[in-house]
Amino acid sequence: MVITTRQLSKSYGKVSALNCVELEVPQGSIYGVLGSNGAGKTTLIRMLVGLLRPSFGSVEVLGLNPIRERYELRKRIGYMPQSTALYENLSVRDNIVFIGKAHLIPNLREKVDQIIEFVGLTTRARDPVNNLSGGMKKRVSLGCALINDPEIFFLDEPTASVDPHLKRKSWDLFRKLAANGATLLISTHLMDEALLCDKLAIMSKGEIVLVEKPQTILQQGVLSISMTKKNQIFTELVSANPKAVAAKLHDYGLATEIQSVQIGHPNLEDIVLQIIDSQNR
Amino acid sequence: MKKSLFIGQRVLSELLRDKRLFVLSIIAPLFLIFLLKIFIDSMPQSFPAARYAVPFGAFIVHFLSFLLCAIVLVEERATGTLERMFVAGFSRISIVVGYLLGYLILTTIQAIVVLTETMWLIGLNYSIHTVVLFFLTIWMLAMVSVMLGIFASTFARNTSHILPFIPLVVLPSLFLSGLLVNPEQLPKWAELVGMLLPFRYANDIIRELLTGNSDATAIYMNFVVLIGYGVGLMILASRTLRETD
Repeated sequence: MVITTRQLSKSYGKVSALNCVELEVPQGSIYGVLGSNGAGKTTLIRMLVGLLRPSFGSVEVLGLNPIRERYELRKRIGYMPQSTALYENLSVRDNIVFIGKAHLIPNLREKVDQIIEFVGLTTRARDPVNNLSGGMKKRVSLGCALINDPEIFFLDEPTASVDPHLKRKSWDLFRKLAANGATLLISTHLMDEALLCDKLAIMSKGEIVLVEKPQTILQQGVLSISMTKKNQIFTELVSANPKAVAAKLHDYGLATEIQSVQIGHPNLEDIVLQIIDSQNR
Repeated sequence: MKKSLFIGQRVLSELLRDKRLFVLSIIAPLFLIFLLKIFIDSMPQSFPAARYAVPFGAFIVHFLSFLLCAIVLVEERATGTLERMFVAGFSRISIVVGYLLGYLILTTIQAIVVLTETMWLIGLNYSIHTVVLFFLTIWMLAMVSVMLGIFASTFARNTSHILPFIPLVVLPSLFLSGLLVNPEQLPKWAELVGMLLPFRYANDIIRELLTGNSDATAIYMNFVVLIGYGVGLMILASRTLRETD
């Protein structure tokens, strides 16, 4: 495990921001932390990167204590805060170069060129950040997090306020990073995004209420199936589990050799992207 | 030290590209010195213009350097860039020293501009030696003000939190540091409070130089106190700059 927390808690006076969080994140995975605003996602990430001191419990990232061994740890992690956290008067390039210099990266110029190309901002590299759109600023912020080839990325709502096209591109990038062995801990409050994670921790009021694979969580939902037979409508509520759906449909004449039925729903994001892509062709 | 240089370079290039900060650091002091000239012109012929002109110029630099540095650093905290600097591996001391380096050129320009305008507009004539010492005093005071700004910013989460420091730390210098009346004429307690303020020592040097028969030891001692004040603030600021909450 590259991240382990035990009973990790943070309180401000009588207010508990994080309560006994137990987390185990394996290497090379995309681990989502899903929750509404104020659920404790940012508090958790800030504790993992050593910006917040735990009130109780323990935390280890890459086997290091994020407070005591922060200088060693920070060489090996990438952090993208919720706000874009950029120097608005400086160019895209200068922002990434500055973070690269902090890490004392050799051949920084080449590395920065690669990163700028990677985040798709080559034509805007010399523009001041305050001339960019919100989504582009997010890309610069991601570029800053990429500069030191981190082993773990902590991305706090990386695609909030980003258009669907860029969101998909960002997720392609996250997948590529995970495939190369990096671990990504991503906080989000967007359900569609959460489905793309390998594993999901659902947070509410400072606590982790469920840790599961997204598909398994989906199967815990209930489907409403309506069928019309001889002008009579039958509505059945059935678990979203494909086997349970098949079993229910057997009662309505589905051949018993069909063991599972999975009903896929196109989501709005897919439809919008298809429309945009067909226009661009 | 290398990392401090990177920060200094970044701070300077940001200051030069931000029109708002440029106005506050260079245009505002020029305008205020012009207002000082109007005030002095409206006074009777017997008004000792030299007694007030250079000290007021120094005070304007002190006030604006403090304000500028405090605002910029608090904005770093509010926008999250300070947090990002920490996670990228910059240490507290490298950030404090980096800021000092970044302001080094700006305060030098500020001190030259303010002193030149004051002497030209008010029509003051001093030897090169005295002018150089005036410059060094104002420059040193500006650097201490930058340190004071960094120190104050460590207690603020947003720019409005800087406001209480203005009446508490900067404005008392107007009354307690010998700018309007000699500190010896103040009640003992007020004189002692004035000794806690860095402007007192800069003003003592300027007053000493204005006598035309200056005591080199007194000037030297005040410079030492001013440097000590700056170093002390730098150490304090690097300890109070919050890296973790």
